[in-house]
Amino acid sequence: MTTTLETPPRTDPPRPTRRRPRLGFSAGMMAPGIVLLAILSIVPLLTIIAMSFSRVRLLGGVGFDGAGLTYWVRLFTDIDLAMQWVRTIVFFALTVGLEMLLGLIFALCLWKLMRGRNAILSLFLLPMFVAPVIVGLLGRFLTDSTFGLYSWLLGLIGYQGDILGGQYSAFAAVVAMDIWEWTPLITLIALAGLTSVPASVREAAAIDGANPWQTLRHVILPSISGVLLVALLIRSMDAIRYFDIIAVTTNGGPADATKVVPIRLYETAFRFFDLGYAAAIGLVMLAVTIAIARAFVGVLERKGLTR
Amino acid sequence: MSHVDRTPGRARVGILLIVAIGLLWTLVPLLWMALSSFKSAGDVTAAEPKLFFEPTLRNYQRLFSGANNLGPYIWHSMLAAGISSVLALIVGTIAGYGLSTTRMRGKKHVAFWIISTRMAPIAVVVLPLFLLFRGAGLIDSIPGLVLAYLTFNLPFAIWLMSAFFTEVPAALQESALVEGCTRWQAFWHVVLPLTKSGLVTTFVLCLVFSWNDYAFALVFGGPNSQTLPIAADQLVTQTGIDWGQLTAIGTIVVLPMMLAGLAVRRWLVTGLTLGAVTGE
Amino acid sequence: MGNSVSQPLDRRAVLRGALAGGAALALGGAAGGCATHQDAKRIATDNRWRQFAGTTLNFVSESTAPTAAIADNLDPFVELTGIRVNIVTLELSAMTQKVALDLAGGQSQYQLIYADPYNVLAPYSKGLVDLRELAEDPSLPSMEGGFDDFIDTQFDAAGKFGDGDEVFAIPYDCPTIIWQYRADLFEKYHDRMAADLGFDPTPGLERTWEQYFKIANWFTRNADEVPYGTGHQAKQHGSLMCDFSNVLWAFGGDYFADGERVGRFGVRDPGPCQLASDEAIAAAEFYHRLLSIADPSSISWDWNGLSPAFRAGRFAMCPDWHENAAGNEEAFPGKMGYAPLPKGPARSANHYGGTGISISANTLPNERKAAWLFVVWSTSVRTQLDGLKSEVGGGTPTRESVYGLPEVKAAERRPSKMPNILTAPTMRQAWAPENIGLRPKIPMWNECETTIYTQLSRMLAGELSPADAMREAATRIDRITERGWVS
Repeated sequence: MTTTLETPPRTDPPRPTRRRPRLGFSAGMMAPGIVLLAILSIVPLLTIIAMSFSRVRLLGGVGFDGAGLTYWVRLFTDIDLAMQWVRTIVFFALTVGLEMLLGLIFALCLWKLMRGRNAILSLFLLPMFVAPVIVGLLGRFLTDSTFGLYSWLLGLIGYQGDILGGQYSAFAAVVAMDIWEWTPLITLIALAGLTSVPASVREAAAIDGANPWQTLRHVILPSISGVLLVALLIRSMDAIRYFDIIAVTTNGGPADATKVVPIRLYETAFRFFDLGYAAAIGLVMLAVTIAIARAFVGVLERKGLTR
Repeated sequence: MSHVDRTPGRARVGILLIVAIGLLWTLVPLLWMALSSFKSAGDVTAAEPKLFFEPTLRNYQRLFSGANNLGPYIWHSMLAAGISSVLALIVGTIAGYGLSTTRMRGKKHVAFWIISTRMAPIAVVVLPLFLLFRGAGLIDSIPGLVLAYLTFNLPFAIWLMSAFFTEVPAALQESALVEGCTRWQAFWHVVLPLTKSGLVTTFVLCLVFSWNDYAFALVFGGPNSQTLPIAADQLVTQTGIDWGQLTAIGTIVVLPMMLAGLAVRRWLVTGLTLGAVTGE
Repeated sequence: MGNSVSQPLDRRAVLRGALAGGAALALGGAAGGCATHQDAKRIATDNRWRQFAGTTLNFVSESTAPTAAIADNLDPFVELTGIRVNIVTLELSAMTQKVALDLAGGQSQYQLIYADPYNVLAPYSKGLVDLRELAEDPSLPSMEGGFDDFIDTQFDAAGKFGDGDEVFAIPYDCPTIIWQYRADLFEKYHDRMAADLGFDPTPGLERTWEQYFKIANWFTRNADEVPYGTGHQAKQHGSLMCDFSNVLWAFGGDYFADGERVGRFGVRDPGPCQLASDEAIAAAEFYHRLLSIADPSSISWDWNGLSPAFRAGRFAMCPDWHENAAGNEEAFPGKMGYAPLPKGPARSANHYGGTGISISANTLPNERKAAWLFVVWSTSVRTQLDGLKSEVGGGTPTRESVYGLPEVKAAERRPSKMPNILTAPTMRQAWAPENIGLRPKIPMWNECETTIYTQLSRMLAGELSPADAMREAATRIDRITERGWVS
């Protein structure tokens, strides 16, 4: 799938005289990792492709019976799945978008803050290290309608509904949990980018009489846009495939309001054991993720940020 | 940095307010979890949340006694996550260096392929890997979990380390070679020491990812290799969830990773920036 | 995938690398240990219980109260047999996943399987041992009272599949939904309720669902102790299907034709779905109405959310699994009451959710026999009695004889040392063949069930009318069953 890339073959800079040995050395260094990775990824990939064209038997040793295009036809006529893709895209846009926005705002605030920046950053990073399963269970604990701290707080300001019981509130809750866990990562990366913006650039803007907003808009943001893109890339890869938080809290409900594609995939594979169809859904997910990652990498390359 | 002084008073108050809200939003759930783990069963699920209560260690005691003893789970988690991260770091560092120095055509494709192996949806890769592992007798064993974790740690480690190596000025290596070092010596004595923060960052992130894994541990683990996140899941029983024990287990799972993360935060920032700026 | 390393590479370098990679894998393999599976060793002894001493068995189970009690009290088994048992408990869907994968490979990690009749037994009966062989083996200890001591319906529902006589599992637990209520509140308000409503509100088989509705409504409006009358396990989850089924059957509806056979023995092809029938639609309409006056958080509770809410005093009554009685008794000592669920136009239906314990067919001969020892022990009179007294859970017995023990009989009255047995009189009625509710035992039930609770959840959210929800579910179920099942 990487062959679709249309960048022209790179023209290498002039090489030092010891070209041959260098190539051999580098390739030799890469080989163990690549071979291991190939075993761990190419074999499964081929199996999954084969699965998507077969009915898979489990008992008495796994067996594949040819099923032709059955699953692919079903995939393209499955209205539920289309709805779940829409939901996934909304979920993806909301979580990643808000994480980027909040992460950036917080990074800017921390950047302006001299004293205590490191201590505050340390505290702010903590959610990143929490296992997603624990985040989900903790979310359930906090929003429980009987004893949840957040339900109780919301009750004080007049919200009486059950958070995980309403379609919109449940969706908002799982989005919030994801944001809680991953905004710190964006803050961390953005702050790292901000601290590397040369002081001279900012001084120049100030001398030109730019107000803080203009400085931000025209000077600071452009100079960290590369870093932000990488943050976006890292988050996007995982945002599409992670499903632990939803699985532990609502598992797709109520009324399918939080049933995103990864949940559907899990259910198809491991509740229904409809493995052929699961493989087809999974391959589409993989293709989408790769397309998104390609797009971001493409932007990075155009910006000349990769070497 | 003198720009702070120029921040007007009103803006400064705004910034402090945002920071305060952000901190509350971040810390309240964690503090509440830790606090709840010291509550008795009645206090944990009290309708009116209790800030003051009689603390008890009962939840922790119960986690480490009887049929539910958490000891082995912690050990399995440490072994699987630790070994996998070390392996990912070693193989990833070597391969990452190779990737950053190679001049072969199609290098970008290889780099992208490497990171794309991390994008496959977990639920579908699990079955083929399960069959592969079963054939090799790796199910329900620590080596099995180690390999499973490598599927996501290795591409990440190669990718990140290659970015760090690209940052090391080529001139340094060239001069080492001119002085008669072999390629390996140049890598080992010159380049590697310069990427310490990268090594630490990569290791810790790999550790966090594998320590926190649930999906792979569920499939590849078993009675001899059950890990902590699975233990947390076991507390969700048909008759109800023991929130006291669950918050205790949550605290136990979370604490070591936080300490590890905080211990290396300084390197984490520089590490990720470098990795970030250079992209793949 | 990708054109990885097709460039002019130094062949030796690649080879070297490949060797290193291979070595790493081989190392992993070697450390992983026995790729070839060893059978358990049999030692020469006259004691039939001890012939496999030194063996280790693995048991995978849903995290249920009976397994919690057994896990807490394994010492007697170890003393008796010298066999060690590792118990892995997981949430139901995680457990189903594990069992299916484990059966798939030809050699099993788990010799002992908690065979939920619907999630495991129906789809994977071919992967389980016919236990009759072991029960008849003279070299093994026999089961006290044979198979006959187990409650008939449960023995068929939990252990059999299809037309054959094979016995795939022995009844291990038997949670069943019954009417659980706050007896203190019913007593306090009895006269006022009777006067207001015009009937005797005392829970029992004479009550109808319509009356249940009125009682619930009355509590919501008039009782200060509880904000709501009734609570339900109506999250988008298997529990919603379970809760709804009680009403469906009471109203005379069913999932498939010949529901009794499909429920008790199971079939591979159940024929067309009956959910679009008038009875089913009437049931859905009633259920919708009932949930509209229930505690609004009902739609976020599955079976592990409902009981804690009940114990927190949020409502006066609920249809709940009878094994939760012990916990409820702890929260409201002496104030609990139990009854079979109310009847509808057709009957009273009490949803049975019991499970059997089974042995994987991937086991080797001695291993299988060692596993049988655990099956016999874990379903024995002694163990079931211990389960009743357990402080960490425990279910109720699946054997008739245990209910007949004087010690157990005495515990049916308060103060009781076996709080779960307080439900026994109710259970005798609930498990009667005319009152028990058995969901369809078909291999593709997981997917059908998901469809049912998803459409019900949409109905409760107001997206679908009850009639549309039933029709939609019926169409989808027909599509699922048409695809058939390959195991």
